[in-house]
Amino acid sequence: MKISKTLLLILYIELIVICLFGAFRFINPQSTITLLMFNFLFASLTFQLKGSFHRKMGLLSAGNIVGLFWNFVFFCFSLEGTMLFGKTFVVAYTIIYPILNLLWVVPFWSLSLSFLPKFQNSPAKSGCAT
Amino acid sequence: MIGILEAFFVFLTGLMIVFLVRHYIFTLTVLRRARKAQVKVQYGKSDYEPTVTILVPARNEENVLGRLLQRLTEVTYPKNKMQIIVIDDASTDKTGQIAKDFSNRHAFIEVLQRRQSEGGKGKTAAMNAGFGQSKGEITLCFDADYYPQRDIVENLVRPFEDPKVGAVQGRVVVLNEPQNTVTRLVALERIGGYRVDQEARDNLGLIAQFGGTVGGFRRSLLESLGGWDENILAEDTDLTFRVALAGYRIRYVGDAECYEEAVDNWQAYFTQRYRWAKGHMQCCWKHSFSVLKSKKLGVACKIDGLLLLNVYFMPLLVLISIIVGVPLILLHSSPVASALWFSVPIALYSFVGNFAPFFEVGIGAHLDGRQRIQWLLPLLVFTFLYNVLICVKAFMDLLGSKIMRRNHSPSWAKTHHLGTGNYYIADSPTKREVLP
Repeated sequence: MKISKTLLLILYIELIVICLFGAFRFINPQSTITLLMFNFLFASLTFQLKGSFHRKMGLLSAGNIVGLFWNFVFFCFSLEGTMLFGKTFVVAYTIIYPILNLLWVVPFWSLSLSFLPKFQNSPAKSGCAT
Repeated sequence: MIGILEAFFVFLTGLMIVFLVRHYIFTLTVLRRARKAQVKVQYGKSDYEPTVTILVPARNEENVLGRLLQRLTEVTYPKNKMQIIVIDDASTDKTGQIAKDFSNRHAFIEVLQRRQSEGGKGKTAAMNAGFGQSKGEITLCFDADYYPQRDIVENLVRPFEDPKVGAVQGRVVVLNEPQNTVTRLVALERIGGYRVDQEARDNLGLIAQFGGTVGGFRRSLLESLGGWDENILAEDTDLTFRVALAGYRIRYVGDAECYEEAVDNWQAYFTQRYRWAKGHMQCCWKHSFSVLKSKKLGVACKIDGLLLLNVYFMPLLVLISIIVGVPLILLHSSPVASALWFSVPIALYSFVGNFAPFFEVGIGAHLDGRQRIQWLLPLLVFTFLYNVLICVKAFMDLLGSKIMRRNHSPSWAKTHHLGTGNYYIADSPTKREVLP
């Protein structure tokens, strides 16, 4: 059991490293920066919440895969756009690029929090005044 | 020319990054505290029971006032130590009658009826009039649309046992959250603002913000400060800084929860936030220099205080940074501008409501045990874009009035409350199950 957990952990770390390397090597440095930012926020904040370490690592690596895929799709899109529209497209793409990236970072962040167990010391109820 | 633009862009994005780091520190602080104490007890049991005056300013609040007064008769604080003053500020509906009915039934409820000639000059004028009649050592304030927990008074007065505490602020939770998307987004903003921002400021010994309601002051301090400033739209922020500059602490009490009927449409949201933005900008103008040169505030308090005072300028600055940043990228000016361009979109998700970034709101919602509302986080970008419009208008109007030397004539700039929140009160006849 312990060995399988360790192997799983190694797999998660490998996945994250592969995603970072893949983003840097095959897409662009900006996508690596985005993934690093996501990893930093996720690791420093979410890892302090309740829930098993493995689940959090799983979510983190899933986030990296989603990020890599997202960036790859838009990278292909940008190549195609550049061929069709030229330099204008490159400029427009550079401007909207970080915004496009937040389109996966924020929803993934919000969704992943729901996979962690509820915090029990909740003072505020859902609009239910008792 | 490009060099100037670039320097300006670096300055703007630097400011955004400072705000983001500040909120990141807030989030970390609250997370660490939450980990340490699973069951949060901010203040232990105490025998401290000072006399308390509760001020309830009301102008045409017939839909909600009865609900608040009924609840205030049910609070657990000793009634012989309570004085409730309802300030009926020249209402034209049944507000005065409702207040009088309660006053006839309960000796500790008093009504201050302001005639048409003296009333209608704003919440602050009404509060000052009510404060003139108050007798309690502690003065608490509740807006008419609020619905407090039964133990709220003892929770709010407990920090005053410490003589260095001049003011307290309780937690505001949205009552009508399930009503529609607007109320849900307002609820998210409130979670970020109170569950994380206010709590972190309190933990870090910074200036917790008095929100104008669900809070209060030491009477002697408020008297020495001369009560509420009737020329400021955000009288709560103004008092916050006057208290801090006087060398007193403002404590945030997360256990003192009160439920508010949030705005439920974009028009009302605009009106409310416009008032907040303009008032906050007035406060920035009034207090920034005093905060800088204050000898009673530490360095951290000064930095946080200045950031707090400038918070409604941020949507405006994000807009300017987009306007400046785009030509810089078009001109391929330098790699610095391209690298900093990344901070601009993050800011789009960061300056909403009480100006909490998405990660802060998400963590706040999670710590509150809220699983579903956090799915709405991506929608906060629209709230931010709306806030840009609001803050631009507030800034232009304020600038116009400064240039034209027009003085703000005090009046009520209130949100119309329909009483829809009654539907979500557990013991109300219209009780219904709310979302978990």
